[in-house]
Amino acid sequence: MTSSTATAAGTTAAPKTKYRGVTARILRRAWGQTEMKVAASIFLALTLLTLFGPYIIDASATKMSVANKFLPPIFMEGGKLPHFLGTDQLGRDLLLRSLIGLRNAFAIGVVSVVGMFILGCAIGIYSGYRGGLTDVILMRLTDVQMSIPVVILAITVLGMSRPSPLTIIAVLILASWPVYARVARGVTLAERQKEYVRAAKILGASDLRIMVRHIAPSILPPIAFVAVLDVARMMIFEAIFGFIGIGIQPPTPTFGTIIASGTQYLLNAWWITIVPGVLLALALGSLNLMGGVLERARNHILQGGE
Amino acid sequence: MAFAIEFFLRRISQGVVIVILVAFVIFTLLRIVPGDPIRIILGPMASAAALEEKATELGLRDPIYVQFGRFMGQVTTGDFGRSFIRGAQGGSAGGSQDAAGYNPESRASVSGLIANALPYSLQLAALGIAFAFLVAIPIGLGAGLRAGKWPDRLGLYVSSLFVSLPNIWVGVVLIFLLSAKTGWLPAIGYQGFAYTIIPAMVLAIELSPVMIRAISVSVAANLGEVYFDVGLVRGLSRRTMVAKHVLRNAAVPLLNLFGAQMIGMLLGGLFVVEYIFSYPGIGMLTINAVFQRDFPIIQAVAILASAALVAINMLVDFASTTIDRRLKF
Repeated sequence: MTSSTATAAGTTAAPKTKYRGVTARILRRAWGQTEMKVAASIFLALTLLTLFGPYIIDASATKMSVANKFLPPIFMEGGKLPHFLGTDQLGRDLLLRSLIGLRNAFAIGVVSVVGMFILGCAIGIYSGYRGGLTDVILMRLTDVQMSIPVVILAITVLGMSRPSPLTIIAVLILASWPVYARVARGVTLAERQKEYVRAAKILGASDLRIMVRHIAPSILPPIAFVAVLDVARMMIFEAIFGFIGIGIQPPTPTFGTIIASGTQYLLNAWWITIVPGVLLALALGSLNLMGGVLERARNHILQGGE
Repeated sequence: MAFAIEFFLRRISQGVVIVILVAFVIFTLLRIVPGDPIRIILGPMASAAALEEKATELGLRDPIYVQFGRFMGQVTTGDFGRSFIRGAQGGSAGGSQDAAGYNPESRASVSGLIANALPYSLQLAALGIAFAFLVAIPIGLGAGLRAGKWPDRLGLYVSSLFVSLPNIWVGVVLIFLLSAKTGWLPAIGYQGFAYTIIPAMVLAIELSPVMIRAISVSVAANLGEVYFDVGLVRGLSRRTMVAKHVLRNAAVPLLNLFGAQMIGMLLGGLFVVEYIFSYPGIGMLTINAVFQRDFPIIQAVAILASAALVAINMLVDFASTTIDRRLKF
């Protein structure tokens, strides 16, 4: 709490005091980089487009139209409005389909990362705080989980059952929580020794309260940029699942299914595959660049930079 | 020597436990997730009685721990069972035979199928890693040696760009550009070494960001160490210090990265890339097996993959402890 109030005061007066919180200094340093501003702008633009595009563009993402099939993007000869990025083999608007795909992928990415963060942190904190046999068993469990490649686990579960957004999220969480558990455990081991935790204990705080109120908040900063990068990673997984046919099922548009369906028309209508991919790559690129800059800013600050 | 023996005894015993647990997880998962292989073996027309009879015969109605015990007993003798679907002569049957016509003896052995597919996957993996190094070493070294300067930014941009390109999309784009449009390289299936090149490029794009980051971080960290300045003070040139000392020391974290992160990524990447290019390796075999509910193949691949992961991690740890004895195991 104190660190955030100190920042609020510090940003206006901008004195180079060391009282400013580490997190605030990392964010400040990251925001100072041009890359961060560019990435954030792209991300914001895509978000706005995703939110409002479907209301502004007068076309349909799911309604088929034989007359309008295989229309190229408008910057090419033969393209026509309102199909900015052309249409697919069934005459559906590609921009709208991509935007809806982006929205779904992003939702799945965020929800699964929040899920794996919560699950991983809960297990990691518990493991580190308890120590002893509990710790040994839980950490062996992360070893086991980490020894199963994500894709094998995912295609096994999703390929056999009927895939839905919920099962996709569950699989992603199941496959990726151990990383968070490892980091959370490491932080817990360090925090557990500190004065304030011992003081809280002497004052009669319960173990649960110490874990939730005192240890959990210190895990967020070291792992926040991993989480940003992971959202992008999960979005790629979602696209891969869709491509293999074990993702969100048609007619809901997803990047994977759009790209897969376009491969049959590659020679005559390359844009069906290429265009949505560019949009996805832009979204992922802005996320990854933000994550990368945050990580570098963090390293810079932790090594004593300002 | 005693060190090596102690190390391996300890790590192998841990590794075996992990692999057995992984096997159990996958084995159980396959049997509790909906999707009945008998239905696929016998086809939609088979009667319920015939289904039950066949399931009992294949042992799929026994309790899971009984099935697992039986399976592990076989595995210790090197036998991963026979495919439910694939014929011993190649080609896949299934879907139309009646219960009496199904004979496990006529099915391809799983170890045989894997042995056939493995060389293709290894070839693809090796070429992919080689391409990735070609990209990552110059960029990573430049970024590490000139932290904060333009090569450092280049490293950030290239790695951010490459992680942002979904492999399915890169695969299709490269097929379009290098194969369909120009006809420079063959892409789909496998009829010779040239068919490995485009898939390996996709794999390399997926692997290189992690490498670039690891190389640059590790080199930059070593430049900040005291020994580097001491070397300069004693009159060694910067070039000698980098070539003789920094690179060697920077290799240890790189090795670790290889174990922990790369192999998992590589396996996942192989699966997807093989699927995109219909490349006849382990990944293709497994994805087809999943769609056909061919349990024996999936189990075997999962066990072998995790065993490979554990074994490589062990070797990597051994290598890094021998290079740097300060590390404990």
